[in-house]
Amino acid sequence: MNNIRNFCIIAHIDHGKSTLADRILELTGLIRKASMEQMLDSMDLERERGITIKAKSVRIPYKSASGDEFILNLIDTPGHVDFNYEVSRSLMACEGAVLLVDASQGVEAQTIANANLALDAGLKIIPVINKIDLPNAMVDDCSLQLYSMLGLHIEDILHVSAKEGTGVLELLEAIVDRVPPPQGNASDPLKCLIFDSFYDAYRGVIPHLRVFTGMLKAGDKIMVKSTEKVFEVEEVGYFSLGLVQAAGLSAGDVGYTVALIRNAGEIHVGDTVVSAEHPEVPAIPGFRMSQPMVYCGVYPIITSDYAKLGAALEKFKLNDSSVTFEKETSAALGYGYRMGFLGLLHMEIALERLKREYEQDIIATMPSVIYKVATNNGEIQMLDNPSKFPPEGQIDHIEEPMIRARVIVPTGFVGPCMELAEAKRGSLVGIEHPDDKRATLVYDLPLAEMITDFYDRLKSVSRGYASMDYEMNGYRAADLVKVDILVNNGVVDALSYISPKEGASIKGRALIYKLSKVIPRHQFKIPLQAAIGSQVIARADIFPMRKDVIAKCYGGDITRKRKLLEKQKEGKKKMKMVGFVEVPQEAFLSLMKIEE
Amino acid sequence: MQMPGLYIHIPFCISKCLYCDFYSLAGKDDLIDGYVSAVVRESEKYDGMSFRTLYVGGGTPSLLGARRLARLMESLQSHLGIDRLVEATIEANPESADEDFLKAVRNMGFKRISIGVQSLDDDELKKAGRVHSSAQALKAVDVAFSCGIDNVSADVIIGLPGQTGESLDNTLRKLIGAGLTHISVYCLSIEEGTAFAACPPDDLPGDEFQALMYESVSGILKRSGFIHYEISNFALPGKECLHNLNYWRGGEYIGLGPSAASHMGGRRWKNASDLMAYIDDPAAVGFDEDIVDVETKMAEEAMLRLRLLEEGLDAGQLARRYGFNESKGLEERLNNLAGQKMLMKKGKKYKLAPGSILTSNRVFVDVIN
Repeated sequence: MNNIRNFCIIAHIDHGKSTLADRILELTGLIRKASMEQMLDSMDLERERGITIKAKSVRIPYKSASGDEFILNLIDTPGHVDFNYEVSRSLMACEGAVLLVDASQGVEAQTIANANLALDAGLKIIPVINKIDLPNAMVDDCSLQLYSMLGLHIEDILHVSAKEGTGVLELLEAIVDRVPPPQGNASDPLKCLIFDSFYDAYRGVIPHLRVFTGMLKAGDKIMVKSTEKVFEVEEVGYFSLGLVQAAGLSAGDVGYTVALIRNAGEIHVGDTVVSAEHPEVPAIPGFRMSQPMVYCGVYPIITSDYAKLGAALEKFKLNDSSVTFEKETSAALGYGYRMGFLGLLHMEIALERLKREYEQDIIATMPSVIYKVATNNGEIQMLDNPSKFPPEGQIDHIEEPMIRARVIVPTGFVGPCMELAEAKRGSLVGIEHPDDKRATLVYDLPLAEMITDFYDRLKSVSRGYASMDYEMNGYRAADLVKVDILVNNGVVDALSYISPKEGASIKGRALIYKLSKVIPRHQFKIPLQAAIGSQVIARADIFPMRKDVIAKCYGGDITRKRKLLEKQKEGKKKMKMVGFVEVPQEAFLSLMKIEE
Repeated sequence: MQMPGLYIHIPFCISKCLYCDFYSLAGKDDLIDGYVSAVVRESEKYDGMSFRTLYVGGGTPSLLGARRLARLMESLQSHLGIDRLVEATIEANPESADEDFLKAVRNMGFKRISIGVQSLDDDELKKAGRVHSSAQALKAVDVAFSCGIDNVSADVIIGLPGQTGESLDNTLRKLIGAGLTHISVYCLSIEEGTAFAACPPDDLPGDEFQALMYESVSGILKRSGFIHYEISNFALPGKECLHNLNYWRGGEYIGLGPSAASHMGGRRWKNASDLMAYIDDPAAVGFDEDIVDVETKMAEEAMLRLRLLEEGLDAGQLARRYGFNESKGLEERLNNLAGQKMLMKKGKKYKLAPGSILTSNRVFVDVIN
């Protein structure tokens, strides 16, 4: 056990985590250099977005400079705020963390958030400045930031270029030297942490485990603490480039188990696994079920595909147990589902995966947070769908979920960032100046503002320099109203949204304008209105389409004509019929892209 | 099945019009002799086949001149059955349709001519990159009639840069006055790869203008005795273009020349748009082939026949030819469109509703399979 090192790499997005992981695998001989793909990001989507969605891990045999053989378990962690809880549980599986900072960017909001999580988990931190090969690398500035913002010692900081391989061997030596070996006794009763899982169509849910005490082998009976469900272990092993079967896992090891777990709902990341013979072994503290924060409606474009969508969601949940879904009916869109997500990014990724991997033609409605609505009769309802709000006259008051956001920004952009935060109903909690170049703004903001366009706007007003991290911060009463959208004189419930009363008509007008641009012209005039109750606050008409192409159907080239029509038909298939109006997906998300 | 039509593409022009995206090249006149020989060689593929109609289009067929055109027609006769044509049309542009040429084509048997007039406003012609004047255009019409060509058609464009309702009205009245028997009216569309797409003129009339003008043009022509027999085509009774009617009825035809399209034996194909390769070896020139299943084929014919505003589509007849089971999906789609008032329905016969003529693509999108 003394030769095992369990560590992870934590960083702000794009600071080079995946490249460093690749280089480590390469230098230790696990993969060949020719494979340019980033090994740990295997989902297509992850590679496209350059982020890691699902944590994965890999076992790396390493012979140190002193000639000793080590097992390095690199545990990959997701790098986005939506997955904070997943990150914190991955961290608990490690004894050390490599904290990566991009030399050209410096310490960013997620660097701090992740570093604090690692410190809370009692991990040994190895600070690393990456991308030192870049012409605009500011190694000294970064060192000072690591010292002043996180209290890390400058002499402990390593300088690396993951891209070129510079300093990576030194880093591996530092991991061996500085990260403590795992503690725990193999002869004690079994205790493991589930820090990730994935779904295999043949073998069921395969949890990723960190063994703290005891031994785990095929034939053992295990119990999941939170549900007290018992499973029989069929196979255990560790992660190399694939799954490699092993005789057993013992205290200090990281690996997987196959135990015919059919339902992802029976296994949750963060839960504790013990031996069924010793159910009295206490759970690792801190487990909680992941809580959806953002909800949206998901509807099949073709109404009759409803059952197919339900089946796809069941399968999807086996793969990603943090989504929730339940049946929902919309007067405008028909039968569909209300889905819950950890955050906006999680929502975007999940919907994209439903479309691509699960081949569902769907329309997603505007995301909503959970509002606390107190009615006049003293009842309190938790509502994640604006169309379910009671009539205005019955509402006593509404509370909305808040976040505490930490924004790190170069001092030159403090003004525009503060203006933005205030326009988004933020209240300033404090300003810190970790050095003379940057400021940290701490704001309390409604989550609802966060899930529309706050982050995009923040990036744009700071020319990409601002970074942000946030945590949930309770509920606050707010003066909110429900705004309905009428298309062709009928309320489209799926377009209803909750708006601050102040400025509601400005926002309504902007939305109506946007809708008038994204809903295509039809054969007839389509009136659009935004209304609070019966009071219309904005209106516009989409004028009928007067002509389409009347070009020469030339020289008998009928194929070309037909193919053009087929292309147009494909576009039409991506729209949802609402009454007689074809509404594209874009319309349902219009509120998120309003230029005010 | 009736005999197929024959189309011959002449891909040469004096200069390229600014809106044109058809396959034609300017300034390649030295290639014309070689081209004529190449067309004859391609026709050998169809040796012994007889044709019902002939359409020589372009490009600018009149650029061939009488002598080369005569050589082409004579040589083709030794391979193809083109001696019992019910219609022979040639396209001509005003600047190259002089009396000698028109007399010669009449003697070769062309009794129908389609003249690229486009507009009778000299400013509009110039802005569109046309190389003729309005006077030349009217002259060509007169000469054609005097040479004994009895079916004279003109192309007119709605939506040219600088065009006004008044100028279009004027163009139309002069053409009717000149005794035209057939008029094709197209709305200008800016196609990728054209000069207009690269550099859009700022006085381009919009969709609303085009729509209003189309309706006004249709009204004027109908009041003058023309039948609006196809979305873009108007003819005096009995003067409809038989060659084009064959396209719209889903009929068969052979196209000769680069970029020419053919339809035969359920198969559609189109020669590659490559003049040099074609002259080099017309038999070896590549083509795009399009073979589709029976339901797609049937829907395609339905889409074409709906272009025929008077004749319309007989779904019963279609079902008898393609199969009753295969036609169920199509009829469902047609009935749906009739329900939305985009088609008019009488028994199993369907026609485009007058209000949907200008937005026919919207209808056709739902007609195709």
